[in-house]
Amino acid sequence: MRLPEFSFHEPLTLDQAFATIKKNNGNARFLAGGTDLVPLMKFGLETPSMIVSLKKIEGLKGIAEDNGYAMIGALTTLREIISSTVISGKLPALSEAAMAVAAPPVWNVATLGGNIRQQTRCVYYNQSRAWRLEKEPCFKAGGNVCHAVPRGKKCFSVYCGDIAPALIALDAAATISGMAGPAEVRLIDLFSNDGLSPFTLEKNTIITGIKIPVPGAASRSGYAKLRVRSAIDYPLVSAAASVALDKDSIITGVKLALSAVGPAPVAIDLNGVLVGVRIDTADFTALKDVLPKKTQIADNLALPGSYRRKMLSVIAKKAIMKAAERAAEKETI
Amino acid sequence: MTRPSKQIISLNVNGDDYELAVRPNRTLLEVLREDLMLTGTKEGCEDGSCGTCTVLLDGAPVRSCMLLAVDVAGRHVVTIEGLASDNELHPVQKAFVEYGAIQCGYCSPGMILTAKALLDTNPNPTEEEIKLAISGNLCRCTGYNKIVSAIKIAGENIAGVSSHE
Ligand SMILES: Cc1cc2nc3c(=O)[nH]c(=O)nc-3n(C[C@H](O)[C@H](O)[C@H](O)COP(=O)(O)OP(=O)(O)OC[C@H]3O[C@@H](n4cnc5c(N)ncnc54)[C@H](O)[C@@H]3O)c2cc1C
Ligand code: SF4
Ligand code: FES
Ligand code: FES
Repeated sequence: MRLPEFSFHEPLTLDQAFATIKKNNGNARFLAGGTDLVPLMKFGLETPSMIVSLKKIEGLKGIAEDNGYAMIGALTTLREIISSTVISGKLPALSEAAMAVAAPPVWNVATLGGNIRQQTRCVYYNQSRAWRLEKEPCFKAGGNVCHAVPRGKKCFSVYCGDIAPALIALDAAATISGMAGPAEVRLIDLFSNDGLSPFTLEKNTIITGIKIPVPGAASRSGYAKLRVRSAIDYPLVSAAASVALDKDSIITGVKLALSAVGPAPVAIDLNGVLVGVRIDTADFTALKDVLPKKTQIADNLALPGSYRRKMLSVIAKKAIMKAAERAAEKETI
Repeated sequence: MTRPSKQIISLNVNGDDYELAVRPNRTLLEVLREDLMLTGTKEGCEDGSCGTCTVLLDGAPVRSCMLLAVDVAGRHVVTIEGLASDNELHPVQKAFVEYGAIQCGYCSPGMILTAKALLDTNPNPTEEEIKLAISGNLCRCTGYNKIVSAIKIAGENIAGVSSHE
């Protein structure tokens, strides 16, 4: 599979990046690690006329703790995130989510910003040209049908990012820079929940970094992922949780976010379920009713939707228990 | 659209400096195999899933089928051809041959380079660490056990040699 032709640009500043796109009036894509974009281009699913690499732009890389926040540049690689003791110690869900992405060689090039901004996926869409020719084009390919939901009127392609749910459970915000200037957006607000165009960001907007409030010792986080193989595979359902405990191991707060459950990651409002109970006596059965109602799971990933729906509460419980155990450890130190 | 022109890039491959004229849409894998005739690096899935195209970029394993050659200008690349020195196989290569960790050999260049990168930073890895390191490299033949043992033994051999130096 050869890549289609495009021009390649390496701006040194954000302003240069925007000016290059404007001047060339092109259908541009930003390049970070390329591990999402390049395969899509090989399949003919992305056909930019210009690629604008973000790698030479200063100030988009690195991890720092400042004034109660962890600040992570969007071009920071997953390897750097995984190696950071600040992140593994205080924001373990982020570490775990990064480690759950693809496989170790991919961590060496894949970036945080690229992970967040990855395209939605579907077994009927993420295929070679030859494979797709056998079927009528679906909504996402510019056609008028959905092969996953036969009478569906829209695209249910799935947001399969591992890192966004962790960032949502950690209350993160993205700093962005666009033609209209810089802004800060809550992570959850980056997503449109539309499989055809999954992001709310204006075209050609650059995510410059992520800002995460560093939690106090009583609150910790965890990440759990359902996949067929323990490496390489995208999530089939995943959950991130932040749990706060008091000194008697009573839950005082839970934040839960899910991925691979529809066109966007979902922040789950548990409406007080689990709060006020001791973690070792907590009853998770309510999750079985609550979670499937908040998701739009279709038959369009490697395992049937019915199975993924049943696994929601199992994976969510796993993430919550990981977080709670970590918070309890902190309480006893 | 006018055809995007070739760009001149420099690349150090296996210790040799090259100046190459490449179009932006060529992957590092294509340039290694087709321009430099270094066909030891294999092409498998072409979409990032299998790991057989693994090379070392500044010492770290990466999938060359997903990297644009113009995007790695100025960097150091090691391919499987760069491992043996003076007709002497690298300890990982030796262990793969001696302990039968190769059947068809298609995954071996990627597997061996990934193992070399692991042993460079951690000469005495646990079985779990080896399995994690090679978890992105698919082998459709051997079932992995012999590969894991060969990497373990290669590590011991490297550590043994350096402790006697
Ligand atoms: C075999 C395989 C398995 C994978 N498994 C997983 C998995 O399990 N979980 C998972 O989450 N991902 C997975 N991925 C997808 C991908 O590797 C990761 O999401 C990776 O983190 C993407 O980062 P990148 O820097 O390579 O992105 P790129 O490919 O460079 O970019 C992805 C998209 O984001 C845009 N972009 C990049 N950076 C920015 C920025 N700073 N601002 C605005 N837009 C930007 C690009 O224009 C592009 O559209 C897998 C990929 C492969 C090939
Ligand atoms: S969910 Fe339907 S429309 Fe969307 S990519 Fe899959 S088949 Fe196409
Ligand atoms: S050919 Fe590159 S990962 Fe398979
Ligand atoms: S030896 Fe045949 S694929 Fe690994």
